Amino acid sequence: MLDGQIVVSGLTKVYGEVRAVDDLSFTVQPGRVTGFLGPNGAGKTTTLRMILNLVTPTAGTATIGGRRYCDLREPLREVGAILEASSAHRGRTARNHLRVICAAAGFPLSRADEVLELTGLRSAAKRKFRGYSLGMRQRLGIAAAMLGDPRVLILDEPANGLDPEGIRWMRDLLRALASEGRTILVSSHLLSEMELLADDVVIIADGRLAGHGEVAGMVSGRAVGERVRVRTPHPEKLLAELGSEVTAQSDPSGLLMVTGISAPAVGAAALRAGVELHELVAERPDLEDVFLELTAGRAAIR
Amino acid sequence: MIRLIRSELMKVRTTNVWLVFTIGVLLSAAIMAIIWINVGSSQIDEARIMFAVPEELSPKEKEEWIRTHDLGPILANTAAQIYTSGQFLGILFVMLLGAIVVTNEYHHQTATATFLATPKRTKVIVAKLITAISFAGFYWLVTTVFNGVLGILFFFSEGYDPQLGDWTVIRAVLMNGLAFGLWGILGVALGVLIRNQIGAVITGSVLYVVGSYAIILVYGLIYAFWIKKQWILSSMVIWPSMASQIMVSPEKVYPQSPDWWVGALVLVGYGIVFGTIGTMIARKRDVS
Ligand SMILES: Nc1ncnc2c1ncn2[C@@H]1O[C@H](COP(=O)(O)OP(=O)(O)OP(=O)(O)O)[C@@H](O)[C@H]1O
Ligand SMILES: [Mg+2]
Repeated sequence: MLDGQIVVSGLTKVYGEVRAVDDLSFTVQPGRVTGFLGPNGAGKTTTLRMILNLVTPTAGTATIGGRRYCDLREPLREVGAILEASSAHRGRTARNHLRVICAAAGFPLSRADEVLELTGLRSAAKRKFRGYSLGMRQRLGIAAAMLGDPRVLILDEPANGLDPEGIRWMRDLLRALASEGRTILVSSHLLSEMELLADDVVIIADGRLAGHGEVAGMVSGRAVGERVRVRTPHPEKLLAELGSEVTAQSDPSGLLMVTGISAPAVGAAALRAGVELHELVAERPDLEDVFLELTAGRAAIR
Repeated sequence: MIRLIRSELMKVRTTNVWLVFTIGVLLSAAIMAIIWINVGSSQIDEARIMFAVPEELSPKEKEEWIRTHDLGPILANTAAQIYTSGQFLGILFVMLLGAIVVTNEYHHQTATATFLATPKRTKVIVAKLITAISFAGFYWLVTTVFNGVLGILFFFSEGYDPQLGDWTVIRAVLMNGLAFGLWGILGVALGVLIRNQIGAVITGSVLYVVGSYAIILVYGLIYAFWIKKQWILSSMVIWPSMASQIMVSPEKVYPQSPDWWVGALVLVGYGIVFGTIGTMIARKRDVS
């Protein structure tokens, strides 16, 4: 039985001079959404394509439920994928595009209509692909990935081109699919979206692993401490009251970023000093801070 | 495998390439049939005048004359030409279809979806080969029936037997079918070797259309100025477009031409070699 775990081990891809992916190892657990993050050119797409047997690794292996993709007997029943640079014939209707895949995979052709319904494309089903907008194409990609009702979904920037409603729809869909016990591996640049969506993250930079773990744990366990944002007309009076224990950055508009003290303590200090406050917010570090810290200096396009 | 072939056939049917090609095949078959009917009709007329038994001959000589001046082979050749007149452009279309079946996957970036559904790429290429052969068979059937009807009408209207039982005619029609199929395979191989849609189409068309003229010219020059040996001219058969002509032609294309089956073997060889190389390349190549 396929347990849906994705295991990447020692995966390497060399293109000429560029080590696009360099000895990368990680695992992705079923029942969770795993975000796959990295700066442009970090090797995300290449990694996902190697997992799916579209790109031949220079070294290393990738398995899904213990088997390589090319050894899966009914690949579309086990794995669904959306990839960059994947598309449909411009002169073919969306419905026919899906039916061609159904025929190849041995699914009943009626499955095409079911996934079109699921992705909200029913009314555009008989339109040719050339008339599809970016967001509609992305939805068609999701429809194709869902044809075999797979236990594992691998998505390369699926939110690309989706409108806010579409993004929310996809977030809900992926969360629901993960809660059914499926494995979801999704790459993205939208860090705030990932923070809402992902349970785990795998962060890569320069083709190498930069971080791997639960989102909650990674965010709270960082060296980047909590910061307090304060806005006041009298910053110097407040700073004097706060004393030398804290470090603060100020800007001319009266905004202070204070570290080394909690928000309630700042409020109490303001009351003691008789300083008016216009804003007092505790800023927790977020995934973006973690991401930038882990990939600092390694984000250059290679 | 069956489902893959179904999928590949569906891919061709769900775009208008197939409509355009079918119209092209039929149109060119009609035009070529009309041309060959005209050529054939004047050849037969000429022959009939030349072969007419001279009055001054003795009865014995007349018998001899009739035996040596048989209109039959000319009729058979004309029939073979007319019944296979869809060939020249039909084969071009079949080869281009074979190439497009492959290049489309890269041109429209559908290779990803195709290889995700079937990671065993050899199967995909084999399904494409079978698809190309199916369309080749279909176009062969359509052009043969179409030209057959035109030809039979012509022969009846001129008062001749349509030569349907003549071996020359049957062989020409069968070889025509073989040529369609083999060029379908060569087309698929071409598409794998040259992924660029326009590149593959242009290369294929040039090789096929201009190919045999260029070869005759080059070999003619070599023969005239360099190596004056008969085998130089015989060896033209190694080029696919010449091999194809030698295979399908009821008469020798040129005096030194090898037999038709040499052409057939050469084409089959090309089909196997390029089909295999193409498959091996497609198996290794990254889809990104
Ligand atoms: N076919 C190829 N030939 C040569 N180099 C390639 C090829 N594909 C990718 N690369 C290189 O490999 C590196 C990783 O590319 P990849 O597309 O995997 O990055 P990515 O993380 O998906 O980036 P992005 O966030 O921009 O999508 C890049 O430096 C890229 O230039
Ligand atoms: Mg990418």
